[in-house]
Amino acid sequence: MSKTLLHIKRFFILTTLQITVLNNIQISGYLNPYIYILFIMLLPPKIPKTLVLSFAFILGFTIDVFENSYGIHAAASVLLAYARPTVLSLVSVKGGEDLETIGIKQLRFGRFFTYSGILCLLHHFTLFYLEAFRLNEFMDTFGRAILSTIISMLIILMIESVRSNSNK
Amino acid sequence: MRNLFAFLYKHHVFLVFILLEITAIGTLIQSHHYQGSQFASSARLWSGTLLEHFENSIDYFTLKKVNQLLVEENAQLRTKSVPANKPNKINPADIYQYTSAKVIKNSYNKRNNYLTLNKGSLHGLEKGMGVCVNKGVVGIIRDVSTHYATVMSLLNKHSVISTRFTKSNHFGEIVWDGKSHRFAQLRSIEKYVNVSVGDTLITNSFSSIFPEGILLGTVHRFERDDTENFYKIEVDLSVDYSRLDYVYIIKNPLTNERLELESKLTQNE
Repeated sequence: MSKTLLHIKRFFILTTLQITVLNNIQISGYLNPYIYILFIMLLPPKIPKTLVLSFAFILGFTIDVFENSYGIHAAASVLLAYARPTVLSLVSVKGGEDLETIGIKQLRFGRFFTYSGILCLLHHFTLFYLEAFRLNEFMDTFGRAILSTIISMLIILMIESVRSNSNK
Repeated sequence: MRNLFAFLYKHHVFLVFILLEITAIGTLIQSHHYQGSQFASSARLWSGTLLEHFENSIDYFTLKKVNQLLVEENAQLRTKSVPANKPNKINPADIYQYTSAKVIKNSYNKRNNYLTLNKGSLHGLEKGMGVCVNKGVVGIIRDVSTHYATVMSLLNKHSVISTRFTKSNHFGEIVWDGKSHRFAQLRSIEKYVNVSVGDTLITNSFSSIFPEGILLGTVHRFERDDTENFYKIEVDLSVDYSRLDYVYIIKNPLTNERLELESKLTQNE
């Protein structure tokens, strides 16, 4: 099966899941899990970086349209995509160049956790601070970002372990 | 020239990154102005259609609750209704026209919350109209497409709603600090005013958007800081934003007339 099709399918599954289910789970006012970023995390390391940036922009903007959030998801996702190669070189020897695909199987749990954790933190902090757009609610926004990152990471790791177990 | 191309090629990833970030942040900053959000709203027809389909599929589960609310409201209206044969007396509240709409997208746990309604300019909705439910104020219409409208909820950092106490005429404004969807903050109430827990707050007649007397909430607790001139008041909002289903849009046909008149004042100054 062509790899491109797989990624397109993943794009639709993750955005649909985000828009229809996760955006409607509103726990206690502090928790917004955002798992659509898994799409960017799982893109193969070999595809051109500009293409990854463009995908991230399209993905973020799609979420923005449904959330009425005017560009904040696009900004956070593009930043995540830009930081991805750097983070990838932290967890793999050759900056991921030797890896065909990224996943919990290829990187093992520990390194995948570091990789997705750093990117998720970066994305969520950008997102929540852009949303608040002022610094006098610094601690509130901080708590919101941390708690949401924890929940997002739990869901991302759950999806990822199910995915890598079902695929060969 | 060659050096320029070499430079562009060398840094093309960074340049694309900057370009995309500028586009995204630009959209965000543009959205802070009341007028400019064309970019995001042009895409709203397809997103609205999708959200509506999803909302329809889960509609069934809230039927019981909606029914109950409608019954309550019916009862209220019945007690309020006045005999129709009084043509000579024009009640100021009668000029407002109401349209109902369904909420197809709602959020209440973000710093800035918006709702999407399933009616748009085709049904006579316009930017800046007020939105309420029978229990109180919900927000103000932000953008309108042909079939859909987005509403800036009271739970938004840009939202400021003018209010007054029912028992006295002291007025202030309600804003939201982003913490809980059940409580908002009341500002600009001076210290000499008598405030007690449980006082009700309603919209006042200053606003051209809402008719006077729509419920906003009750005083939950208040603080009197000696170093400041104003109270810190927390308001228990009358509307449960986590349960919005059907809302009313308030149209004031005289808004333009009023705004025109008031703009003359500022011109003369």
